[in-house]
Amino acid sequence: MEKKLLRITVNNEYHELYIKPKKLLVEVLRDELGLTGTKRGCNTGACHACTVLLNGESVKSCSVLAMQADGAQVSTVEGLQDKGKLSPLQRSFLDHGAYQCGFCTSGMLMSATALLNKNPDPTKEDIKEGIHGNLCRCTGYNSIIRAIKAVAEGKYKEDDR
Amino acid sequence: MKKYNVINTPVHNIDGIAKVTGRARYTFDISLPHMLHGKILRSPYAHAKILNISVIKAESLPGVKAVVTGQDTLGIKQGIWRRYKELCDEEILARDKVRYIGEPVAAVAAIDEDKAEEALDLIEVEYEPLPAVFEQLEAIKEGAPLIHEHAERNINVTRHIEWGDVDEAFRAADYIREDWFRCSSQAHVCMETHCAVASYTPEGKLTVYTSTQSHYYIQVLLAWILGMRENDVRVISRYTGGGFGSKFELDSAQFCSSLLSMKVCKPVKIVLSREEEFMATKRRTPMFYYLRSGVKKDGSFLAKEARVFTEGGAYTAMGATALYLTGFFQAFPYVWPSYRYDGYRVYTNTAPTSAMRGFGAPQAIFCAETQIDLIADELGIDPIELRRKNVMYPGYEVPGQAYIQSCGINQCLDKVEEWIKSRGELPPNRGIGIAAYGFMSGGIFNWFDTPYAFSSAVIQINIDGKVDLYVGSQDMGQGSNTTMAMICAEELGVRVEDIRLHMGDTENCPVDLGAWGSRETLMQGNAVKMAASDAKRQLLEFAAAKLSPNIVYDMDIKDRWIHLIARPERGISYFDIVKEAIRGKDGQPIIARGHYTPHRKGMISPAYSFGVQAVEAEVDPDTGKISLKNCVTAHDCGQVINPIGVKGQLEGAIAMAAGYGFTEDLPMDEGKILNPNLVDYKILRTTEMPETNVFEVETYEPEGPFGAKEAGEGLTNPTAGALGNAVYHATGVSIKGLPITPEKVLAALKEKNKKKKK
Amino acid sequence: MIHDFKYLRASTAKEALELIEQHKDDYKIICGGQSLLILMRQGLVAPECLIDIKHLDELNYIQFDKKEGLRIGATTSHRTVETSLLVKKHYPLLVEMEQNIASIQTRNWGTIGGNLAHGDPAGDPGPVFIALNGKVKVANKERERTLPLEEFFIDYFETALEEDELLLEIQIPPIPSKTAVTYEKFNIIKNDQPIVSVAASITLDEDGLSCKDTRIVLGAAAPAPARAREAEKLLVGKKMDDQLLKNVGEVASKEADPVDDIHATESYRKQLVNVLTRRMLGKAWKQAMGLAREEA
Repeated sequence: MEKKLLRITVNNEYHELYIKPKKLLVEVLRDELGLTGTKRGCNTGACHACTVLLNGESVKSCSVLAMQADGAQVSTVEGLQDKGKLSPLQRSFLDHGAYQCGFCTSGMLMSATALLNKNPDPTKEDIKEGIHGNLCRCTGYNSIIRAIKAVAEGKYKEDDR
Repeated sequence: MKKYNVINTPVHNIDGIAKVTGRARYTFDISLPHMLHGKILRSPYAHAKILNISVIKAESLPGVKAVVTGQDTLGIKQGIWRRYKELCDEEILARDKVRYIGEPVAAVAAIDEDKAEEALDLIEVEYEPLPAVFEQLEAIKEGAPLIHEHAERNINVTRHIEWGDVDEAFRAADYIREDWFRCSSQAHVCMETHCAVASYTPEGKLTVYTSTQSHYYIQVLLAWILGMRENDVRVISRYTGGGFGSKFELDSAQFCSSLLSMKVCKPVKIVLSREEEFMATKRRTPMFYYLRSGVKKDGSFLAKEARVFTEGGAYTAMGATALYLTGFFQAFPYVWPSYRYDGYRVYTNTAPTSAMRGFGAPQAIFCAETQIDLIADELGIDPIELRRKNVMYPGYEVPGQAYIQSCGINQCLDKVEEWIKSRGELPPNRGIGIAAYGFMSGGIFNWFDTPYAFSSAVIQINIDGKVDLYVGSQDMGQGSNTTMAMICAEELGVRVEDIRLHMGDTENCPVDLGAWGSRETLMQGNAVKMAASDAKRQLLEFAAAKLSPNIVYDMDIKDRWIHLIARPERGISYFDIVKEAIRGKDGQPIIARGHYTPHRKGMISPAYSFGVQAVEAEVDPDTGKISLKNCVTAHDCGQVINPIGVKGQLEGAIAMAAGYGFTEDLPMDEGKILNPNLVDYKILRTTEMPETNVFEVETYEPEGPFGAKEAGEGLTNPTAGALGNAVYHATGVSIKGLPITPEKVLAALKEKNKKKKK
Repeated sequence: MIHDFKYLRASTAKEALELIEQHKDDYKIICGGQSLLILMRQGLVAPECLIDIKHLDELNYIQFDKKEGLRIGATTSHRTVETSLLVKKHYPLLVEMEQNIASIQTRNWGTIGGNLAHGDPAGDPGPVFIALNGKVKVANKERERTLPLEEFFIDYFETALEEDELLLEIQIPPIPSKTAVTYEKFNIIKNDQPIVSVAASITLDEDGLSCKDTRIVLGAAAPAPARAREAEKLLVGKKMDDQLLKNVGEVASKEADPVDDIHATESYRKQLVNVLTRRMLGKAWKQAMGLAREEA
C-alpha cells in the first residue's frame, strides 16, 4: 500500500512523515514521534485516554486518521510544560493528587486544558462535562475536578511560577 | 494527637511530575531495539480437547518470526498457592484441553501487530468440543461435565470457619431470618491493560518489563514455569497503570512473550486488547450467598450461619483466598457469639475468578449489611443503634481467628449518625442507607511459600545526605512509593526530597510480596521504618560522640536536625553528621536494613481497618433509575500517613464499589462475556459520582508503622450494601442481586404495589 | 485490525461525488470516522477505498431563514451545532440534545451528516429531527433529491442512501406557532447511547389548549427511529389530561418493537417508552400552552 506524506505540527514542532493511510493519529504520535505521553485504553472510543488537541479542539487521537490531521497543529501532554516549567494545571494536579496510577492523566490534562482555554471560569458542572469523556478507574474524579476548579479560581497564576 | 513533620502532611506524590508531564514510561510505552510484537490465539470453546495444532502456515507468513503452542512449554501447571500443589492447576498456554472461552492456545511474534494478528488466522486448531457448565450450582450437580480430573463434582476448594454453638444459639433467638443473595462478577478495568515486553538474551537471561502488582511473584512464577533459575529472570515494573487485584498472578502476556522471546532471542511485546482484558483476565468472584441470622428482640446478635457457593471459573487462581476471606469478613465488624461458615468454590467453564479489591469482602458486606437493615426494620430498631449494640471493640478476639487491637468503629458510627441527623427530612423518593465494614492490613499466610521475609528494605545514606531507599513494594497508583518515602523521612528525621526511592526491579530491590491484600503500608512500611530506625541509630552514635551529652539525655533527628530531645536547641545538622559517619566508617556510606514478617498474628492479618459509610440515593419510582447524591464515610485507618493519598483512595474506592453496586456487570451466554468493551461495560463517569465527604477517625494501631493501617481496599467494602440500603429506605424494596439495576428496582416496586393492592 | 485502503481526499462536494462514482463498488466515506473506524478495527468493514470528506468546508455551515428554517451542512460537527447562537435562538432543543451526546471530544470531531448516515436507531439526532419534521438532501453525481427523515431510516444501520449517494444537508422547517418539541433519552451513565428515547412535539389549535398536530418519535425502540402513529391519533383534538397521557403512553409502548439485550429487556424498554412518552408529551404540551399564552 502506497505511503502518503503527512505534514503535521506537534507541540510547535513541524514534522514530515511518510505513513500508511490507515495509521491513526495516536499511532503516529506514539510510534513515529516517540511521544508516549498520550495513551490508549480501549478500541471503541470510550476511554478518551488518547485525548489530544487538534487545532485547539480536544479529540480522541485513536479516532482520527493521521492523514486527517495533515496540515494541522496538534498539542499533546508533552507540550504543556515549557522548558521544565509546569503549566498551572499540571501544578494544580500535583497539589491535589489528581492522579493515581497516572494512565488517564495525559488525557485528563488535555481535556482540562481545552476546557479552560474555551471557558476560563467554569462551574463544577462545566468541569464535570469537560472531562466527562475521560474514564478514570483510580480517583473517582473528585480530586481532578478540585484541581481544575482551583486553576479556574485563579490560584495558579502564570507569573507565580 | 501526635504531630509529625512528614507523615499526615500534604506531600506531592513522588511520581507526580513524571505522571503529569507524560514522561512516566509504563510497560505499554516500552520499546526495545529489534522488538517484535506478539498476539495470542484464544479458544473459542468453553470446554474442549485440543486434538491438534498446526502452525506451519502461520510460521511461513513473511514477517512472522516465531510461533509457540503448549507443546513448546514444560507443561507445568502453575498457581500462586505454591504450597498446595493440587491448587496449582493452570498451564496458561493450554496443552491438552481448554476450559474457558479465551484460554490461550498459541502465540505469534511478528514484525508488527498487524502481521501477528494475520498469522493468528493461519493457525489451525482442531478441537473436540466437550459439554460445558457455566454456573456453580449446576456444576456441582451429579453428572455435570468434569472440568478437572482431580476435582469431583467440580469442587475446587472448601472452607469452614466456626466458633460457638450456632444451633444452640439459634434455639435461643427471638427472631431468625434467612436470605439468599446473588453477588455478581466485576471487571478490574485497569486503564493500562495487561502487557509485557520480554527479552531473552544469549547470556541465557530473561528480562521482562511488565505491568504488575508484584514483580517478585512474577519473577518466581516465570522461573518456575520456564524451568529457569529464579535469579536469571529479571522483572521490571516501574509504573503500573492500575492493578486492583488483577495483576499479581502470572498472566498470558508475560508467559507468551517470554516463550516467544526465548525462541528467537529477541524482545517480544504483547499488549492485551481491551476485549482480551475483559474476556480472558481474571475477575471478581461471583457468589451465591445464603445467610441465616438469629438475634434477640433487643437486637443482640446471637448466631449467624453462612453458606456460599462461588463461581470459580476454570482455574483456582486466587479464588481460594477470596473464598476464605468472604467467610471471615461475613462476621465483620460485629461480635457474633456464634458463627458458622461453609464455603465451596466450584469450577465452571468460565474465565477464572480471583482477586479484586476487597477480595470477597464487598460481597460479604453487601449481603450482611442488607440483612442487618431488614432485621432492624423487623425489630423496629434504628439501623445505627442495632449496629452500635453489636460492633467490635479494641481487644476483641474473633475466636480462633483474629485479635482486634485498634478499632474505631464506634466513633465511625457516631460521625455517620451525626451526618444523617444533619440531613434532616429528605426530599421525596430519597433514602439514606449505611454499611459498616472492617478489612485486613495484609495477610499472614504464606501459601506462596516464600523463604523470604514478607517485606524488606535497604537504606544507603550518601555523602550529601541523600538517602537511597530500596523497597520491594509496588506502586500501582495507590501511592505506596510516596508512603514509603514519607515513612522513611519521618523515621530518619529528614525530608521527602532527601529520599531517592528504588523500586520495581527484582535485580535491584529487596523482596516484598507485592501490592495486594492491602499489605504495603503495614508490611513494607514496617520494614522501611525498621531500616530507617537502624540508619538513624548509626548516625546518632556519631552524633553522641560529637556532642557528648550527659547519659541521661537521649537524641533524635527531626527535619535534618540531630538534637537532644529534652534540649532541642542543642544539636548538629544531619548533613554534618553524615559526613562524619562516612569518614568514621572508612569511607563507606551508611547502610541499614529492615524487614517484616507477621508472626503469631492470628489467621488473617496483624491489623484491621474499620469504617461506616452512608449513601444517600434518589430513586425514580417510574423508571427505577438510581441517582447517588451523597456518600459520607467515617473510617479508621489508624494513623494517616499520606492524607492526599488516603482521600484519593477513598473517592476511587467509592466509584469502583458503587459501580459494583449499580452499574457494572459481566453477563455471559454459555461462557461468553457479552460486553467485553468500555461502551457496554459501564463504569462510573464524573456525572454518576456523588458528593463525597470523609471523616477520619484516628486510632493508633500498635502493629503498624506509626500506628497506621490499610486504607485503600476496605473502603471498597461498604458501598454496595449502603447503596442497597439507601434504595430500600427510599422505596421499601430490598434487592438481593447485584448489580441493583433500574429494571430490578422497577420490577420489585411493581411486585410490592401488587401485594399492597391485595 | 484495520486493513489497508486507498486514501482519497475530496476538497469539493462535486469532487466527492465524482470519486464516489468512480469507486462506487467498494468505498466508504470517512468524515469524523468515529463509528466507521470501530467497525473497521473489528474487521466488519474493509473498504478498498476511503474517501475523506472531513475538510469539505463547503458542507460545513449552519444557516437560518425565517421562511426556510434551518439548514445544516452534512460535515458540520455536533459541537458547532451545540455552540451555535443561531441554533440556540431558534431550536434550543437541538442544543440540549447535543449536550447529552457522548463527550465533547466526540462532538468536536463527529458530524451531523455522519451520525444520520450511520443509521443507528439509538442515535439522538434521528428522532429529534423527525419530531421537528426534518428533511435531508442527498445527491449522486447526476442529481439531488430531498426526502423526509422518517423515510430516510429503514433498518438497523440501513438508510435510504443509494450506494452512489452522499448526504449533503439537513433541513429543519421553522417551528410552527404554538408548537413545542421535547426530547429525553434514558441511560444509566449520562450521555451514553439511550436504552430508549422519546421525542415529542405538540402543536396547539387556535384555543391554545387542544392538540392540533403531534409527533411521537421513538428512538432505540425499533429497527429505525419510528413514529408511534396510533398513539398520536389519540391526541388530536384533545386537551391535556393525565388519563389521556397515561393511555397514550401505553399505546406508544405497544407500538414499540425494541430488542432484548444485556442492557434491558424488551419489556422494560416498553415500560420506559410508556413513561418517557407520557413525560415528554406533558412537557411539550405545557410548553406549547405557555407559548400560546405569550402569543395571545
